[in-house]
Parts: sequence; C-alpha cells; structure tokens
Amino acid sequence: MSTKGTKIPERLMIPFAGITPAPTQEKGQDLFPTGNWRSIRPVYRDKLPPCNNACGTNEKIQGYLDLVKRGKYLDAYALIKEDMPFPSVTGRVCYHPCEQACNRGKYDEAISIRAVERFLGDLGQALTRDVVKPGTPNGKKVAVVGSGPAGHSAAYQLARLGYKVTILEKSPKAGGLNRGGIPDWVLPQNVLDREIERLVELGITIQTNVEVGKDVTWDQLKKDYDACVLAVGLIEPNSARAEGENKEGVHFGLPFLRDIGMGVSKVKLGARVAVIGGGNTAIDCAREALRQGAVEVTMITVEANPQEMPASPEDLHDMKEEGVELLHARAVTAVLGNGKVEALQLHPARFAGAINASPINIDRETAPEKFAVDNVIIAVGQRPSLAWLPQEFKTERGTIKIDRFGRLGDTNFFAAGDIVQLGQGQPLMVVNAVGDGKRVAFNLDKVMRAVALEPRTIPVDVIFDLNRMNMTYFPHFPRVQQTLLPPKSRRKTQQEVIQPFTEEQAVEEAGRCFSCGTCNACDNCYLVCPEPCIVRDVRSNGLYKILVDYCKGCRVCIEECPTGCLEGVPELDFDTGVVRMDTAFAVSPGLHGRQAKELKNLGERAPKNI
Amino acid sequence: MATATEVKRRTVRINGCVASAQAAKYADVDVIAAYPIRPYTATMMALAQMVANGELDAEYIVADSEHSQLSISHGASSSGARVFTGSSGVGVQFAYELYSPISGSRMPVQMMIADRTLDPPGDFGSEHTDALSTRDMGWLMGWACDAQEAFDNHLMAYRIGEDPRVLLPQMVCQDGFFVSHITSDVELPDSGQVKEFLPPYKHPYPLDPRHPVSHGPQIMPEQGPPLQLERARAMEGAAAVIEQVHDEFAKIFGRRYDPWVEEYMTDDADVVFFLQGGHAVTARFAIQHMRDNGLKVGMVRLRTIRPYPTERVNEVLSKFKVVGVIETNMGLGSVSSGGVLYGEVCAALYESQHKPLVLSFMAGMGGEAIVLNEFYWMAKKMTEAQKRGKIEKRTHWVGFEE
Repeated sequence: MSTKGTKIPERLMIPFAGITPAPTQEKGQDLFPTGNWRSIRPVYRDKLPPCNNACGTNEKIQGYLDLVKRGKYLDAYALIKEDMPFPSVTGRVCYHPCEQACNRGKYDEAISIRAVERFLGDLGQALTRDVVKPGTPNGKKVAVVGSGPAGHSAAYQLARLGYKVTILEKSPKAGGLNRGGIPDWVLPQNVLDREIERLVELGITIQTNVEVGKDVTWDQLKKDYDACVLAVGLIEPNSARAEGENKEGVHFGLPFLRDIGMGVSKVKLGARVAVIGGGNTAIDCAREALRQGAVEVTMITVEANPQEMPASPEDLHDMKEEGVELLHARAVTAVLGNGKVEALQLHPARFAGAINASPINIDRETAPEKFAVDNVIIAVGQRPSLAWLPQEFKTERGTIKIDRFGRLGDTNFFAAGDIVQLGQGQPLMVVNAVGDGKRVAFNLDKVMRAVALEPRTIPVDVIFDLNRMNMTYFPHFPRVQQTLLPPKSRRKTQQEVIQPFTEEQAVEEAGRCFSCGTCNACDNCYLVCPEPCIVRDVRSNGLYKILVDYCKGCRVCIEECPTGCLEGVPELDFDTGVVRMDTAFAVSPGLHGRQAKELKNLGERAPKNI
Repeated sequence: MATATEVKRRTVRINGCVASAQAAKYADVDVIAAYPIRPYTATMMALAQMVANGELDAEYIVADSEHSQLSISHGASSSGARVFTGSSGVGVQFAYELYSPISGSRMPVQMMIADRTLDPPGDFGSEHTDALSTRDMGWLMGWACDAQEAFDNHLMAYRIGEDPRVLLPQMVCQDGFFVSHITSDVELPDSGQVKEFLPPYKHPYPLDPRHPVSHGPQIMPEQGPPLQLERARAMEGAAAVIEQVHDEFAKIFGRRYDPWVEEYMTDDADVVFFLQGGHAVTARFAIQHMRDNGLKVGMVRLRTIRPYPTERVNEVLSKFKVVGVIETNMGLGSVSSGGVLYGEVCAALYESQHKPLVLSFMAGMGGEAIVLNEFYWMAKKMTEAQKRGKIEKRTHWVGFEE
C-alpha cells in the first residue's frame, strides 16, 4: 500500500474532499485569495429611475414601490411624505408624468404609480397620528401666502424644518386649487380636509379670509415675518377674446369649479352647454357640467384632434365615455344672444405654429357657424392678479420675477407654484407646484441659516435605456387597472369616478416595477456569484458587500443584475481593498505566506552592486 | 427518493445495454443524465422507456453533450442523488474534464461504458481505449464479459462507490456489441434482494441550503497535496471494501465472482491469456478447443483494473511460464508500443521471484472478433517463447504477422 504510513500535518487538514464549512457572512473562506486575478470590480451604483426624475417633486417612486412590494406600507408612506405632503390628493389628481416616463411603458405597460400613491395616501389618511413630525422650533416665523399645492408644500416642508408657519388664505376654506380647481368626483372634499388638518397638526396656523393687498400689505408681511413664500397661484380666468363674453349664461372655468368646490355656486345650467378650451380644466368643466344637469355638453377646441389637446388621455377617454362631444379646429368669435347667451359664432381656426404655444389663426373668410347653446363655460387658462406686488418684482407676463432659487431679489420673499411657473415651459400641474414649494422651502431655509445658495452641479444618471438592465428577469405582465364607475351612473353623482386599489392590487402592481438602475435587494448577485464573494448582513438595500479578497471579477453578478445597479469598474480605479500579488499568498499562515514574506525581503537582501 | 416497482426474480433474455438499464432501475437511481452515442445509447433508450412507463421514478435529463452529462451527474450527486450516466468512444473523451473533479469531490457517480473504438474513422466496434484512457482519474473501473456480469457489476459498483470508506465514482464497462448488443439469459433478482444489498445513497456533506457547505472551492496550493493523498488513500482502501461487497453479493444473489481476476483452466497451464471483457467468452471456447488438442492453455481475466490488484496479479501470473496479454486497446508509443495493459502486467510482476515471459497481442482491435485461428496463432507464439526461454519481440499485431 503506497499510502500506508502517510500522515497529513494538522495545519493542512481540511475537511473531507476539500468540502469546507459554509463561508461566514463576514469573512468568506480562508482559502486562496483569488481577488488579485480581478481586472474589473463590481460596484453597486444606484442610478436615478426615470419616474423619480420625471416627478415634479422627485418622489422616491421606485423606493416606495419596492417597499409596497415587500408589504412595508408605513415605510412606503413615510418615504413618499418626504417629498409629497398629500399623496392622497396627488394619488387622485396627478397627471403622473412618472407614468409617461416609466421604462416599463416601453416594455409592456407603465406601472400604475398614481394608484399605488393613492393607496399609500389613503393609508396615511387613516392614521390617527401622522408619521411626519414638526422640526425642532428655530424661532423663525414664515408666512405662506396661498394654501394651494405650492403653498401647502412649502408650509409643510418649512414646518418640518422647525419654522413657525402661518398660511394666509383669501378664501373661506384652505386648499387653493386643490379645493377650487378639482371637482369632488376626482378629489372628495373630506380627503383634502384631512390633509389640511395634517398641516394644523404640524403646528401651522391657517388664517382664512385674509387677502394680501387688502387685509395685509406687503410691508406688513415684511415686518411681521422673517420670511415669506408667495404661492398665490393664477386666479384670473383668461378671456376667449370673443365678443359678448359678458352675457348672462357665460361662465369661466376655474370660478365655475371653485364655487362648486366651496359650496357657494348658484349656477343653474341649461340643457345645452359648450365648453371652450382643450386642456384638463376644460375637461373637468365639461364633466362637471354633466353632473350639474346639462344634457348635451360639447367641447370646442382650437386643436384639430384629441391628440393635440394638452390633456390627460385617460381623462379625455373618461369624458367621452360620459358622453361629452368634441368639436375641433374652431375658435369662438362671438357669444350671440339677447342679453343671455343663445348661440356661439364659430370660425375655423388653427394655431399659427406650435400647438398651444403660438397665436391662433382664425379664418374669418369662411362663413361662420352658429352653434346653439344655453350656457358657455370658458376654460382657456388663467392669469396672475398681483396689483399689490411692488412693480420691480413683476415680469412682463405679469408673474413674479424670481432668481433661479425662487427668491425675489435679495429679499426674504420667495415665490413658488403657478405664479412663477406660468410661461416657464413646464406644464402647470399640482405636482410641479408641490415640487416648487418644496425646493423654495429648502432654499428659504438656507437663506435663513446664511448658507450659500448654489445650483446643483453633480450630473444625474437617469436610466432610460432598457439595455442597461437585464430584461430576461422581467416577464411581461399587464398593468393592474383601476376600476371606474359605470359611465351612465357617473352623470348623476359627485362620487369618485376612479376606484382605489385593494391591497392585493397595490402589491401586484408595485411588483411590476423594474427598480430601474437601483438595488432593490433582489439577492440575485448573492445567488449567482459562483464563489461566496458577495455577502449580505440582512436582506435590505445597499447592504451587499463584495469580498474583494476573493472576487475574481468574473462579471457574472454584473451581467445578471436585473436592475442595472451593479457596474464593472476597472480595478485600476481603486487604491483600497486591492489584493496585490505580493500579499496574495500571505492571507493564510502556510508555506506560501512565508514565501511571500521572503519575496518581500528579497529586494533588500539583493546585492547592491552587480 | 424514487421508488422502483416491486418485482419478482425471473430470467429474461436481454442484451448488455438493457441489463445495465435494468441494473439502474433496480438500484432505484434518482437522476439519469443521457446523451446518445452508439453503442451505449440502447441503455438510455431502455431507461427512457422505464421512466415514461412509470417503472422508475427518476429525473431523466437529456444533456447537450457528454461534458454536460457528467456536469449534471456531478451536481446531482453533490446534492445527494444516486446518479446513472454513460457513454461510448469519443463521448467518453468529450467529458474528460469532469472525471477528476468528480472523483476529487468524492461523488459516487456511476457511468456505464459500452466500449467503442476512438476516431478516426468512425468505427462502432469495441476497443477499450475509451474508458482505459481515463483509468488514472480516480474512478473505480472494471469490465464485465457478459450481460449477467454487467448487471451484477452495476449493483456492486454502487455499493462499493457509495461506501463511506470509499466515496468514489465508478466506470462499469462492457464491450460494445459483444456484450452490449448480444442477447443472453440474465437473471433479474427480487427487488427485495437488491434492497437488502444496496442501501440508499447518503453523502456525508450533500449540498443542502438548510445546511450550507462549500464544494470545490479554490484552495491554497499547499492544500492540494493532502487532498490528492486522501484520494489515493480512498482508492487503495477501496480494495478491502470491494472484497467485502463481492462476498455479500454472493451471499444474497448466489453468484460469486472473484473481485480481481477470473482464472480459467489455469491449474496445469503453462501459458495463459491475460485479458479483460467480452473476448473472455471466445477465449474460453478456444482454450477448450486447444486443450482437446493437447495444449495446456489457460486464461486470466482481469475483472477490476482500478484499483489495480498489483499483488494479486503478481501472485497469479507468477505461476505461469508465459503470459500473453490480449490488449484490445491502443497505447501508441507505450512501453510495448502496443497497448497499455502490458505495462500494468509487467510492473506487477517486477518484484516476482518467478517472472513469466510476457507478450503483448494487439488483437480484438476495432471491434473485430478474435477467431479460433488467432487464438492458436497466439498460443503458438507463447509456446515458442516458452521453448526458447526468451521472447522474439514484445508486441505482435495479430493477423498482420506470419
């Protein structure tokens, strides 16, 4: 027997057939350190998902979808509340630019983000105590003028930062556009009321029936407060530039909705109603008109077809479903009637250039049409009303003039929302006003703390390209649809048209999220690593660790990262955690370790003069 | 764990391939890794039928190559499954990478080989070079000479390889065509007998997510030699287990095989043929014929080549004057410039006080049968050498010399 009498020294005894105990999470294996073979090192680098990027207030959408997926609803709600004071509202009214940007939309159907947001918002509404707490009081007083989306958001963020905030609202009820611009069947009053209550719970004082320029002056604001955020919105309706707009039976979009929202409307609509305008407010007006008793509602737009209309396709669809007719490529040139509107005079019309961003060419050569109506609602946008504002802070357009940080000159006045965003190239919508309010609040805080305001310089890597992810991990799966009230019954009720997600639906829909470019702790890298080089302490974001002593840089984890978070970075870019050849053998106390030591000393022992 | 249908002992007329498949069924294998190549394919065809008919509850995996077959086998065995695979000829070669890792990780995978001549050109006939080329990879290895022995060897090989003292993979070989495709009577046992003989496979450290271990990690160079030494010990230590298992097999099934060599009419023989596998059947007939004509010829058939029974070969062959090694394999440029068995025989005899003369016969090559005339021709060469007391030359290409 050739093996008779053989003995293996204690220090070289390894378990049966080289089978070793499982590597520990901290250490991996005390075996050959293969890390020095590596030329590429896997690195977890989160990118910005396109939804977060597109959101007007940069909600961490991927983050809360991932939490919903894991059933951590309260954490998800807390995360959304960092950027959004009222997810219950935006979960209903937002025109969701996030969903338009969603990478899944290029794959099958975009994630129904708004529905998940509403699910979380409603969860927040049901909480006895909100997760958000006011900041430690810093003794500074801030006035926020206006309680619409921008004012609400600014006041909320400032209260979280420790400011004593007072909201000045000219209407009898707080809420601004949220209250007055959005019909009940989209956003029930009690939902908004609860969100206003949350502001009061944060220690914010709300003074209603206080109008700047009438009840309080510019100088008083300056005197009574350390700083002020002007979020007064656009309150004056634009004219359609038709003759006879002052006739009885002619209404304007926002005031029409506002009076209904405030419960002070005295409007009685006739059977035939025309709505002038092709935007979202016009759609809300048309649908509201049906609920106010109109029998035939026609929307008259300059846009030549539905695609051109600056409106949410879903809302347009729901409107048509309810029975509103569309009449395109027409401009109202006169409101006809003897003291009361009886008909509209229409001429063919087109935008001279870009849709909604150029003058309207009206073809007055062609004989006008006569369109018989009982009422007209003109919804062609709003304009500012800033008589009280010092002239130096007004733009040519009549909006508030601010610097890139939302500040009025070197004053402690800031402005946010539609009153500054009008004409700035971005659509006026609730979420953009919320984002503006948030950013302005943070800038105001910096000014108060005498921190320099500097524009952001770090480029943001938004992951738009599906090729940067591993799509083989994502089976096609249809979007979970929210149920709607049947069109027939909608016309008779102020009940919400769009129904909420159930818990199961929210989880299922959140589960469709790719988590574009972001580690969502899917464990794939941990599982595919051919050697135990990836460790995790707990199954949670950002807690995977590459054992650089052992990782060979085989790229399997990088290639197989479903979300594209893992990147291969050239090893030469690092100067830490590098296993060089001379240390490679020294990890374990064996022969090669000793050899490596010898090798290290070799240079010193070499004869100096040859 | 799969469960085979209860069956009663009976005799059937089947070929070697089907006998192997029957053995796998009796062994109640868990995973079968298949990839077709003649002539062993018939075994996998039979097993496919058994699985399809519900006679055998096993994972039947059709691999995309022999390399994958063996990789699948390696993985399945690591998880604690009893694995059956097989191949022939160049297929055996294509899986070469896996032979050492499987034995090195001590996975008792069983591989059935129905020999086929290696290319070129395409020759379906039997030649042992395919399996013999892997003889030093740490697999237990031996040849059957008929279908019954093939059946029995499979059961014994599982029992030996899976023994916790051994834990090595096994190549259970049979000649292509001569054994694999010629039908003969095979006694199939009661399933109860097999249950008694072959307990379920239990690897000491299977891959199991509930009790994680790491198989085959990168090791420090200095940790390599102890692992090789352990594998060498396992191979050497297998000898005692092999003998014990053959004993138990005889007790339960009533067929007693010498684990190492079969001696045929050697009592008074001066010259013997030394060979492996199916040619033993024709050799027995030829020896009978020659004895009727007054020639004192015998045969020693090697049943297990790995572990190689050095002492036993020495002891047995030292009794004779001349040993004629019938190679049935190619060892181009080897010790004898013929086959590889010659070297194995001579090395075993080196310490012998009564060294016989050893000749190497290149016969039965390419799947050709060795005919009676050729046995006479070889016997003549051996007796001439005996008379002369010296060999004329080491290697003879039978059929190509006067």
